Amino acid sequence: MIKDITIGQYFTGHSPLHRMDPRVKLLLTIAYVVALFLTNSFWGYLLAGAFLLFCYALAKIKIKVILRSLKPVIPLVIFTGVLNMFFVTGEPIWEFWVFHITWEGLRFAAVMSVRIVCLIAGTSLLTYTTSPIALTDGLERLLAPLSKLHFPAHELAMMMTITLRFIPTLVEETDKIMAAQKSRGADIDSGGLMKRVKSLIPILIPLFVSSFRRADELALAMECRCYQGGEGRTRMKQLRLRLVDGGAVLCMAAVVAGCILLNYL
Amino acid sequence: MEKMAENLLECRDLVFRYSREGRQGETVLKDLTLSVPGGQFLAVLGHNGCGKSTLAKHLNGILLPTEGTVLVEGIDTRDDERIFDIRQKVGMVFQNPDNQIVATIVEEDVAFAPENLGVAPEKIRQRVNWALEQTGMASRRESATYQLSGGQKQRVAIAGVLAMGPDCIVLDEPTAMLDPHGRRRILATLRELNRAGMTVALITHYMDEAAQADRVVVMNDGEILMDDSPAAVFARVEELQAIGLDVPQTAELLYQLRREGIDCPEDALSVTDCVEALCGLLGEVER
Amino acid sequence: MSAPVIETRGLGYVYNPGLPTEKVALQDVNLQIERGEFVGVIGQTGSGKSTLIQQLNGLLRPTSGQVLIDGEDIWQDKEQLRKFRFKVGLCFQYPEYQLFEESVYKDISFGPKNMGLSQGEVDARVRDAARFVGLGEEMLDKSPFELSGGQKRRVAIAGVLAMDPEVLILDEPTAGLDPRGRDMILGQIKAYHAEKGNTVLLVSHSMEDVAKFATKVLVLNDTGVLLYGTVDEVFSRAEEIRAIGLGIPQITQVFRALRQRGYPVSDTVYTVAQAKEEILRLLAERGAAR
Repeated sequence: MIKDITIGQYFTGHSPLHRMDPRVKLLLTIAYVVALFLTNSFWGYLLAGAFLLFCYALAKIKIKVILRSLKPVIPLVIFTGVLNMFFVTGEPIWEFWVFHITWEGLRFAAVMSVRIVCLIAGTSLLTYTTSPIALTDGLERLLAPLSKLHFPAHELAMMMTITLRFIPTLVEETDKIMAAQKSRGADIDSGGLMKRVKSLIPILIPLFVSSFRRADELALAMECRCYQGGEGRTRMKQLRLRLVDGGAVLCMAAVVAGCILLNYL
Repeated sequence: MEKMAENLLECRDLVFRYSREGRQGETVLKDLTLSVPGGQFLAVLGHNGCGKSTLAKHLNGILLPTEGTVLVEGIDTRDDERIFDIRQKVGMVFQNPDNQIVATIVEEDVAFAPENLGVAPEKIRQRVNWALEQTGMASRRESATYQLSGGQKQRVAIAGVLAMGPDCIVLDEPTAMLDPHGRRRILATLRELNRAGMTVALITHYMDEAAQADRVVVMNDGEILMDDSPAAVFARVEELQAIGLDVPQTAELLYQLRREGIDCPEDALSVTDCVEALCGLLGEVER
Repeated sequence: MSAPVIETRGLGYVYNPGLPTEKVALQDVNLQIERGEFVGVIGQTGSGKSTLIQQLNGLLRPTSGQVLIDGEDIWQDKEQLRKFRFKVGLCFQYPEYQLFEESVYKDISFGPKNMGLSQGEVDARVRDAARFVGLGEEMLDKSPFELSGGQKRRVAIAGVLAMDPEVLILDEPTAGLDPRGRDMILGQIKAYHAEKGNTVLLVSHSMEDVAKFATKVLVLNDTGVLLYGTVDEVFSRAEEIRAIGLGIPQITQVFRALRQRGYPVSDTVYTVAQAKEEILRLLAERGAAR
């Protein structure tokens, strides 16, 4: 059940996307998100969508995976879609009691839905093709100039690394605790809201207790391995800009420019 | 420069008392003296709560003595300036493999300690490769750490401290959470490291693991009760059982027979030794 | 003859069917366990042990075949499933991590309360279970989080015992404990079995413990049952057990070696006490012959 979540998952591979510098990937993902919000023409979205599909093909990630990652956001897409459909004013095409659907509403709903889908699929591609370590590493280095202003760039990256490291462990642990409490007759899957919330207590308390214990032991182990914060720390993997990064920047520049220009078509 | 120390690890009249709330005043280590020469494979045996984990934490300055001193290659663990030297010399591996792995990818985790020490990137790469070779995890270097078995995780943890370039590794019940297969692999790894010159201090309550060491120290109630070769320690069946420890079935059988007034050797730890001893006892096979 | 308390028919389980990560955990397992047995369950990690025990109390739904408890298919009526959870008490590995209540008493009563028992009945169950695991009256009001590791473990086991299950399944109840803690818990389980006469399944990696406590041994390998029989039957097939990476008790190895050398010793020796008797018998016979 919990294991279905694919957001944040990394698929090993050796595609050009996998080989890119994580810093460049991070920045280009941001650029892509900005482009999605700048465009408002059909052709612009078509371009953005097509580019995304091209990237997925390049990374050799199956369409099935995209669909699976979109599953949790379907309610959100439907909700915003419906909301926009009914409440944007304009020329009505269908009216019933207080509801009226307008052309503008329909258009806006479609736009918002496509935007959300591209947004999720686009940012997911970043985590699919970048190992969590490389990602946090990239983030740390992008933010490094800010640490002169006492921004805790290293600490932030370290926290992210540890979080990513412990997510699978805690998911597994949650499954185990749930199975154990179910074996003692805990009824987790039925009843009203209050009953369900109450039935979470036997799961959440052991989970918290164990997380604290883990945190304690991890801190000790890190201390034993001479961890002393970010200062004076070196990295085994050096980040280097390569040809593929230059190519990617050019491609993204073209897409962003395209998205903007197509607005004026 | 400190003068060359004779022993790699040395505890002199070590006393440790908790000052923490809840366990205030409880004396965990009582006047403990122990020297470990370089290259030794030492096993520390004792039941839970006998103070063996507390002793381990003194060996790299995680805990500091209430009284007495602990020296690592002649450096006092109280010396704040040298604490990272000490931690680098004495690598520490803990019981729960899940709670000592920092990174999501095997080689990234092994690189953690040398990165902390500010080693140059290409040197880190060399050390990581070496450490993964030593622990037999080289083929899994790019694996996600959470996909490994408990035993494999524990070998990654060992590689992680090896990458610091320590002279000694201290392991606090490293096999307690592993299955028999994982346990055997860890012990084989440790024996191999020891053969290559690494000092190993293995803290355990498994007697079959202690039996593979050069020397066994038995702790009880914060004190050292026995300090001898495995064979000599496991011949003291009654004393070991009295403090809640196991002895190998072979040693126990010979002990039971001696109690019946039968003359048989004291130190037969392995199946082969025991079979020989019993054959000697039973005489020629009647045909 | 009454129906076996546990029966599986063509039981199979496949993880992630249809996905690239598909993995067959169990295949065509046909097993009959009689009431009152103390079964040692052994097998390498990954041999399907935990899959099997989770199917026996309905935590996992078989992908093929059936699980019958007291002759009833547990998945026949989903509404009735919880009934079988109480009938088959399952105690997981490191069960102390499931403790959550503010007092030992409350934690042990979690199961019986879920069964919908009366206050008086719950109280009796809790005290009975606490007695089995040797927790004194003074312990019941303490917070489970201030106890030692071994004590926590016993509280957690009591939480399962308090449901008074017909079948008690324990997955490595002594993992991580020192010899003293291990002997205490195994002794308590043995006493529980002797007093209640219930069926007990003990998953263990220790052949010595299995030989000492179990009446029957179930050996799992790969995706199914390799052997199921009495301790003598199973350990007499040492080669097969060794071939799948498991050991036999050290003392049994000694006696098999003696037999190979031609000594007329029994090959069903698993404990030091048995071994001593056997050697003394042999020495006496030799003395008499001379």
